[in-house]
Amino acid sequence: MGANIYKNKKLIWVFLLPAFLFMLVYLYYPFVQNILNSFRHIKYMGTAGGDWNSPWYINYTKLWADPKMRIALKNTGITIAATILGQVGIALLLSLLVSNIKAGSGFFRTVYFFPIVISATALGLLFNLVFLYDKGMVNQFLQFAGYLDRESNELIDWKSKHAMFTMLMPVIWQYVGFYFVILLTGLSGIPSELYEAATIDGGSKWQQVRFITLPLLRNSIGTCVILAVTGALKVFDLPWTMFVNGMSNTWLTGTYMYSKVYSDVDYASAIAVVIVLIGVILSALVNRIFRQNDDYQV
Amino acid sequence: MKKKMMLVLAAITAVSAAYAVPAMAEGVTLNVTTTYAGEDGNAQNYKDSVAAWEAESGNKVEDSSATSDEAFKSRIVTDFEAGSEPDVLFFFNGVDSNQFVEQGKVVSVDEIREVYPDYASNMKDDLLGASPVDGVNYSVPVNGYWEGMFVNKEVLEAAGVELPTADTTWDEFLAACEAIKEAGYTPIAASLQEIPHYWFEYAIYNFQSPETHNTVPESVDDEYGKAWVDGLNDIKALYEAGYFPENTLTATDAETFQLFTGDKAAFLIDGSWKIGGIAEAVDDIENFTVVNVPGKGDRKTTDEIGGLSMGYYITRKAWDDEEKRDAAVSFVSFMTSDEVVSKFAGVSATALKEGAAPDTSEFNPLQVDAIAYTASFTGISPAVQDNLSAAAREPIFADMASIVNGDVDAADAVAAVLEANAE
Repeated sequence: MGANIYKNKKLIWVFLLPAFLFMLVYLYYPFVQNILNSFRHIKYMGTAGGDWNSPWYINYTKLWADPKMRIALKNTGITIAATILGQVGIALLLSLLVSNIKAGSGFFRTVYFFPIVISATALGLLFNLVFLYDKGMVNQFLQFAGYLDRESNELIDWKSKHAMFTMLMPVIWQYVGFYFVILLTGLSGIPSELYEAATIDGGSKWQQVRFITLPLLRNSIGTCVILAVTGALKVFDLPWTMFVNGMSNTWLTGTYMYSKVYSDVDYASAIAVVIVLIGVILSALVNRIFRQNDDYQV
Repeated sequence: MKKKMMLVLAAITAVSAAYAVPAMAEGVTLNVTTTYAGEDGNAQNYKDSVAAWEAESGNKVEDSSATSDEAFKSRIVTDFEAGSEPDVLFFFNGVDSNQFVEQGKVVSVDEIREVYPDYASNMKDDLLGASPVDGVNYSVPVNGYWEGMFVNKEVLEAAGVELPTADTTWDEFLAACEAIKEAGYTPIAASLQEIPHYWFEYAIYNFQSPETHNTVPESVDDEYGKAWVDGLNDIKALYEAGYFPENTLTATDAETFQLFTGDKAAFLIDGSWKIGGIAEAVDDIENFTVVNVPGKGDRKTTDEIGGLSMGYYITRKAWDDEEKRDAAVSFVSFMTSDEVVSKFAGVSATALKEGAAPDTSEFNPLQVDAIAYTASFTGISPAVQDNLSAAAREPIFADMASIVNGDVDAADAVAAVLEANAE
């Protein structure tokens, strides 16, 4: 056998085939079918597509005129911005701080990564209690601190008055650790000699970050931003658990699509197609901005 | 090493074979799906009854019951589409069943009676719950439901308000709500964002009568359409008056229920199935009662919502399978017998000719009050929402917040419902 294994290309196909078939059946076929479904009339969830819609593109014109879809797109835009700044930004800050400490970095890695392993639904339920109107943790704390009047049981309806903040805060919090680990791995790949040379040349800590760390982390940050953008477009479970049915106009593209799945199946398919399209366009855009640059390879 | 590996493989093969070979023919295995699961008050009764039928018949039940929600309904539709429907199904008899009835995938009661003349003979045929598709009976109901106004007596006493009676008018009810609010309590425990259904039914019922309530309007301008708009505007008025919880547009049903059981809210409109939940949630069940929902117009305060919205279906697949046919008929007959129905019914209505005979000796005070409540009915109508598809319900139920805060006009919401229902 020996080196022959590399010459026999058929074997490669044998190993690739199962994964390819799996992707074909569970990803590409449903994806194409979903596009077709968005043009057909589907009476019940789970039933096969019936006649073509009249006109066939009606779901897409409906999307254009749908005020809830506009809200969902606007909120998703806010979510994307919040995840880039909040998740990737905070993760970058934390990773820079942790990479600069010698003792205890393992502890912080675990602590920051921990929320990732908790299910989003469980976190949603947890934050429901945190922001609960009556006897919720935040409102109790604010009463205790004197910000809210305890005598008259003054309370803040977080899910109404500060809905987007209440929804996005847990979403951002959960995924900071994920990007933190990616960025920390990127930081560990930067040779320490560069920092030593900068220190000898009299470079301050900030200058080291500005002129060494950030340029060399460019590819890692680009990966994080792409993941954050596509993740924000799909985010569903935690917002749905906390803000079922888009209450207080908190629709996101993911939650709005799900809400339509049981009542207007083909319309939900059209929303899914739009989510994919936006995801592809934004990913290409981010890729262009953070194009792999060999100048910054280490 | 090889020997050990062979032994392991042999053991796996033996175990697999044991599972692969069907059990020796001791009886038939029926696939059954019901909604007697999760928090349903009859979940345990169902398990007990299934066990009793299995012991009596020697057959087995492969149960896939689940809590009734939109995902469950969707699963049933998908199962019928994929040809993997259960043999026996306990499901809604309204528009939710239209798809499999239209496709002829369930067997009518009349067809079953041609072979089994005694099938459902203990039931009143006109109460079985005919299909909206063709008016034919396909399902056999167990226990019905009613909707009423549960009252926290302690809150009323603290606010100096009298307990509503069968003669309480809508205006008197509003006055009571105002007094309760003035006393620092929440008059009505309801989550308009999650469960606005009960208030929708009674609010529009107030502009109709038991004879007309179960009619879906043809247009927003006809008699029924106007009643719906007026009813929704009444809910808006209650919201604007501050009679619902302050966070009614963001609270869950569980949160508002807690207000009620925690002596912070006075009234709760809900179904007969809520009695068990209240009894479990409170220490002093005597502090709670159920009364008629105050009415106005042609609707008397004693005209209520109720009916038999679900029943047991035998699927065509099971009926055409000679091995399963007998077992399916036997199972449904057992589960809808006078004895089992009486056990399930508690304080709710049934379609039994002889009437239910529940064991009242173990009833708690709320259940005793419920018996008196049901005895006061002068008229009863099914919930009209059962005539609407999921898509049609959405503009009102998912958008109640927009209606009460004025973002969406009630007439526009009703028009959207009727448009979706016509599709």
